[in-house]
Amino acid sequence: MRLELRWSDVQDMAASTVTRLSGRRLEVDLDALGVLLAADTRLTGLRLDLVHPGERCRIGRVFDVIAPRARLDGEDFPGVLGAVARAGDGRTLALSGVAVVVTDQQMDGVGTLAVIDMAGPTAALSAFGASHNLVLSAWPAPGTGRSEYLAAVRLAGLKAAVHLAWAARDVEPDRVEVFALPPSPRVPAELGHLPRVAYVFQIHSHQRPTGLDEGILYGDPVRRMLPTVVHPNEVLDGAVLRGFMGRSVTTWATQNHPVIRALYARHGRTLWFAGVVVTVAQATEPERLRSAFLTAGLVAHTLGADGAIFTKIGGGAPHVDMAQAASHCEKLGVRTTLLVEDMSTDGSADGMLLFDFPSVDALVNVGSSHEPLTLPPMDRVVGADDLAPRLLGETPATYGTLCGAIEQVGATRVMAEVR
Amino acid sequence: MTTRVVCFVNQFFGQLGGEERAGLGPQAMDGAVGAARAVQQALGEAGTVVATVVCGDNYAAEHPERAVAELVGLIGAAKPDLVVAGPAFLAGRYGVVCGALCAAVQAQLNVPAVTGMHAENPGVELHRRQVHILRTGAEATRMLEEVRRLVALGLKLVRGEAVGTPAVEGSFPRGVTRNVVAAESAADRAAAMLLDKLAGRPFTSEVPRPAFPSVPAARLVKTLEGATIALVTDGGLVPRGNPDGIEALNATRYGAYSIEGKTSLDAAQYDNPHRGYDTSWVKQDPHRLVPVDVARELEQSGAIGKLHETVYSTVGVATTLAHSARMGKEIADKLREAGVDAVILTST
Amino acid sequence: MTPVAVMVGANRIVQAAGIIHPLGNADLTPDEEKALRRRIVEQALQALRTEVARPTVFTRE
Repeated sequence: MRLELRWSDVQDMAASTVTRLSGRRLEVDLDALGVLLAADTRLTGLRLDLVHPGERCRIGRVFDVIAPRARLDGEDFPGVLGAVARAGDGRTLALSGVAVVVTDQQMDGVGTLAVIDMAGPTAALSAFGASHNLVLSAWPAPGTGRSEYLAAVRLAGLKAAVHLAWAARDVEPDRVEVFALPPSPRVPAELGHLPRVAYVFQIHSHQRPTGLDEGILYGDPVRRMLPTVVHPNEVLDGAVLRGFMGRSVTTWATQNHPVIRALYARHGRTLWFAGVVVTVAQATEPERLRSAFLTAGLVAHTLGADGAIFTKIGGGAPHVDMAQAASHCEKLGVRTTLLVEDMSTDGSADGMLLFDFPSVDALVNVGSSHEPLTLPPMDRVVGADDLAPRLLGETPATYGTLCGAIEQVGATRVMAEVR
Repeated sequence: MTTRVVCFVNQFFGQLGGEERAGLGPQAMDGAVGAARAVQQALGEAGTVVATVVCGDNYAAEHPERAVAELVGLIGAAKPDLVVAGPAFLAGRYGVVCGALCAAVQAQLNVPAVTGMHAENPGVELHRRQVHILRTGAEATRMLEEVRRLVALGLKLVRGEAVGTPAVEGSFPRGVTRNVVAAESAADRAAAMLLDKLAGRPFTSEVPRPAFPSVPAARLVKTLEGATIALVTDGGLVPRGNPDGIEALNATRYGAYSIEGKTSLDAAQYDNPHRGYDTSWVKQDPHRLVPVDVARELEQSGAIGKLHETVYSTVGVATTLAHSARMGKEIADKLREAGVDAVILTST
Repeated sequence: MTPVAVMVGANRIVQAAGIIHPLGNADLTPDEEKALRRRIVEQALQALRTEVARPTVFTRE
């Protein structure tokens, strides 16, 4: 398995009559792209906006953010956009400095939807405050249900992401990253002393059951998924998407997976990257126990890991689910480190954790979503016309409402410091 | 305009006596008395200790709400800008009331208050969230330096100056979180932390563990009539001569003492080295600590199945958490092995 | 010091009669003292029979 990410670093983006990459400038034929995306009969009123770093602009109703990627030789986002085919082995075009922001125009109580600020101190807290963003807004066609609508807008976002990256097919990449990891057991003798480290990736939480069209792993809605093993390249190359619920998680962060990148960066030097186990946070205790037990078996006995890093998605039950899996790993002699979110809602350090397993003692935190934050006034609101009056002015918010400030997979630097 | 300060001390640090005066109720004295003089020394020209309020440790422990209410009244009358309580070092009753008093002064008088004590003083865990508590040693060895830091912290609060992080101030975490931006991503920090953990290198977790994990409550499976009950105490009951050499402070040992065939404890055969309270009453009548007489009657009447023939005893003053947990586990293992179903533990 | 007992996680806590004489009282006659002691011990036995989910303080009215 060998993945080549061929990066073009974009510094400027503008609407044009044709989509092409001209030096560091990405020109986008918004009309043609709009026609392409509007073909989906589940959507109506589709609109595309370009928003740039430094603009006093706030993007509202943010549902997900997707990184532009296009396979040169294979299927894009297999199982969801493209046909089911192996991701992670081949050549993929990637653009830095650009993101596709998908908005949700259907949801009524917008409390849980995020915003992205393009200027001011809140812009600095998120990667998306520094990228040129293509904002996609579309409304549900009459008769389109919730799950259908979200599947449709997410698909539109994926198509837009491919369209943008495809612009780089004829240019020399600015840099090429190669991700090559041999099968886990095949360790050269001279590297046999390195600690074997696995990554346990909780890709969905069954706090809310998935829709049939809510593809997460190669397009499968992971409804009865038991823990399984995937190659890290598959995660980096579009095999895993975020579902329709995802507080403090974006598809973008999954595509640029920071834990996988961190382990690859150290692979062969300070550790041997033993592989990735994907899990789902279960909704009942017996299922949680079974999942924890199987996960530990895969990590300890199949991947032969000495240590494992864990991340979660969703809220409190997944937080406990992750800790239980880690506890089972520790019982099998695997040392663990977890990325946790501060679960307290009142700034009190006592409520940070919902578990207490003695051996699960190496915890990194990704910050407190509930901590208040004031969003400064802006000149323009995109993606949320109905909320514009409120979102233009100074807005009380929380770290959790700022998309990209806190990523549960660990892409961010916000941390809750205990005082 | 110097700062008006009121100090709170216990009977010992108020130079009114030792354990025998622990029952003393709240009272106020003019100026800096006893250990409060160290506070005045630390204040220098910046402030004046206008009054010293005192309360006995037992009065405070046995009537906590009343003691605090009375002390707040005495303190309020002196119209302070700052209240300094303790330091209490490892004295548990003293530390608990220092913390409670500071919290009450803040809430009811709207006056800043600070105190100091050792990490293992129960007052820390009970009150660190409400009150700035400075870390001190176990004994008054470095009191002058610690009082200097305590006064410095207190003056910051009075002046509305920014208080540093717990590490900088030398105080206990107040248990609040604040988002900051770290130098590296959480993923990178996790990789580094895991490699440290794997290599056996020290690492600092970014989330504190709960201080006292909850212990699932055991269920008494048998009826009382069929159960074997053991008596245990941390009040320091020992046979005359203290054959096991249980320490009077910071105990690391416990004893196992037979009461087989005994319907009562003969005071002449027992002693008590415990330094944390006035032991005269329990030396006079050990049943005031370990109720062998009543327990034997309950056994004879059939109310309980059996009174276990061994009493376990240690001295519970300034005992470290580590030794307490270890001794507790060892005693529990022995009791379980002997078929004991339940324990009545008398604590002073 | 019942708050300390609650804090460290003791599940069944019976309020005794004072630090210096948890199971007695020098102000009472020997018979009265013993009766008090018996009441507290019986309360402890009652507490042992009671199912609790978390630290619980049993006081005497």
